[in-house]
Amino acid sequence: MANALRRFGLRGIAFAYLAAILIGPLAVVFYRTFENGFGAAWDALSSPETVNAFKLTLIITAIAVPANTVFGIACALAIVRRKFPGKGIVNAFVDLPLALSPVVVGLSLYLLYGRDGWFGSWLTDHGIQVLFALPSMVIATIFVSLPFVAREVVPTLREIGDEQEQAARTLGASSWQTFRRITLPAIRWAVIYGVILTTARSLGEYGAVAVVSGHLQGQTETATLRVEERYQSLDLAGAYSISIVLALLAVLVLVAMTVIRPKEEAV
Amino acid sequence: MSIVVKGVSKRFNDFPALDDVSLDVETGSLTALLGPSGSGKSTLLRVIAGLEQPDEGEVVIFGDDATGLAPQKRGVGFVFQHYAAFKHMTVYDNIAFGLTIRKRPKAEIESRVGELLELVQLKPFAHRYPAQLSGGQRQRMALARALAVEPKVLLLDEPFGALDARVRAELREWLRRLHEEVHVTTVFVTHDQEEAMQVADRIAVMNKGRIEQVGGPRDLYEHPETEFVMSFVGPVNRVGDTWVRPHDLELSAEPSDGADEAMIERIVHLGFEVRVELTRADGEKLWAQVTRDRCEELELEEGQIVYLRPQHERVFSAAT
Repeated sequence: MANALRRFGLRGIAFAYLAAILIGPLAVVFYRTFENGFGAAWDALSSPETVNAFKLTLIITAIAVPANTVFGIACALAIVRRKFPGKGIVNAFVDLPLALSPVVVGLSLYLLYGRDGWFGSWLTDHGIQVLFALPSMVIATIFVSLPFVAREVVPTLREIGDEQEQAARTLGASSWQTFRRITLPAIRWAVIYGVILTTARSLGEYGAVAVVSGHLQGQTETATLRVEERYQSLDLAGAYSISIVLALLAVLVLVAMTVIRPKEEAV
Repeated sequence: MSIVVKGVSKRFNDFPALDDVSLDVETGSLTALLGPSGSGKSTLLRVIAGLEQPDEGEVVIFGDDATGLAPQKRGVGFVFQHYAAFKHMTVYDNIAFGLTIRKRPKAEIESRVGELLELVQLKPFAHRYPAQLSGGQRQRMALARALAVEPKVLLLDEPFGALDARVRAELREWLRRLHEEVHVTTVFVTHDQEEAMQVADRIAVMNKGRIEQVGGPRDLYEHPETEFVMSFVGPVNRVGDTWVRPHDLELSAEPSDGADEAMIERIVHLGFEVRVELTRADGEKLWAQVTRDRCEELELEEGQIVYLRPQHERVFSAAT
């Protein structure tokens, strides 16, 4: 008996915890979505505002992910391969978005680009709308999803060392050729893994975007903001059905990750 | 001269890795940079390759000043101690890398890589990945990869350092033969004096960021200019200011003029060679190297008193 407890104790705790915190709520969302039939959920999802919200989320993600992929790789290369003053600070700052509350990020953007902000008046004079428009939402999303690629790539770069790169240089490869043919293939799984995490984070971003978006229905409302808006409007079916699509996207991302992980270890 | 290094200095933080080093490497020669770890030999090789920038001095390769030149423009082949194999490429693609970068026609690449695979005896492994090769095979692949672009000079950084003793001995032999075949000017780094002597035709002995002496293997062994060279290129006994090699200590059972009395502490039989550990009357400990036949002829035994007559002793002026 004690033996059995010991064997299943840890597993039981882990499973109970996951069930209570994660699986339970998700199951409820799932149940509620289809409580009034598939038709109701479909109606909520196909409303023009909701379709627009998903479009906006995808557009923001499509800009933020490539931007952070390029930045993340460049940043990781700088941190691992270069020596420069202030390197430690750069290394620490990459992690800042993980520690900082997204609301604070949104607020700081608000203070920078708002009408009375540092850049706000200049931008307004030149007819460029940043706040309550796509640019500020993209910037906010880029900020919160910034660390993932760099954090994945840095340890891999350290592990592979720079001898292969040096060998490529002595064989006649330029810096770019060395990066393309040697470094990038060596870090590819780390990059892909980082891209997946960045995508997940971008799709799910709420706090920072909520502050800078202005909640203009059909214009600056992302999928996560739409969930909030439906909920406040007491349209629970709508809120649940959008949530379920977001949850499914997250599950897709998880599946993609588990499919990729073993391959990475095999290489 | 293929490579001329003039007054090169290089510091890492406060550590002087190279201190005003000058070296000429003859065209077609096989030169060893020999020294203990931290002597600067690898740094010197990396400066020649352009993988490190010297703080002072210049590097001239075949008459062209290469000091500020990027490694890919120097026409050097470099082989690393840990192979630096491109892990995601097959053996074939590894060897073809330099030619692919130079956008050579496919047919030319194919025939050149084929030749090199033959040369390094890796033909059956062309489509394997480096992870599927042994250490010795990986290093031969790295050598073929460096040779593929027909470098003006070939630089090898402790090429056999990561291999086990038997493979190391095989590859030394093989490198020597390869050099006779290909005849590209070659510089290799090693901390193993036997390896340097066996493979190289010229040796530069390095210590503390400086070159102590340059010469042929025999020259260095028989005419060392400093205490360091004397003790690094072969076994030595030091008695006061006098240095003598163990095989230059002549043993005899009978006393004679100028011979020192000593007692045999221990006799170690190593096959052909026998090591005799001795304590002189004044308490100095030394050892002599004799042949097995000589040992039997003198009927040497532990505890026996013998008489030592050093040959070719050396005294070095003012410690260097």
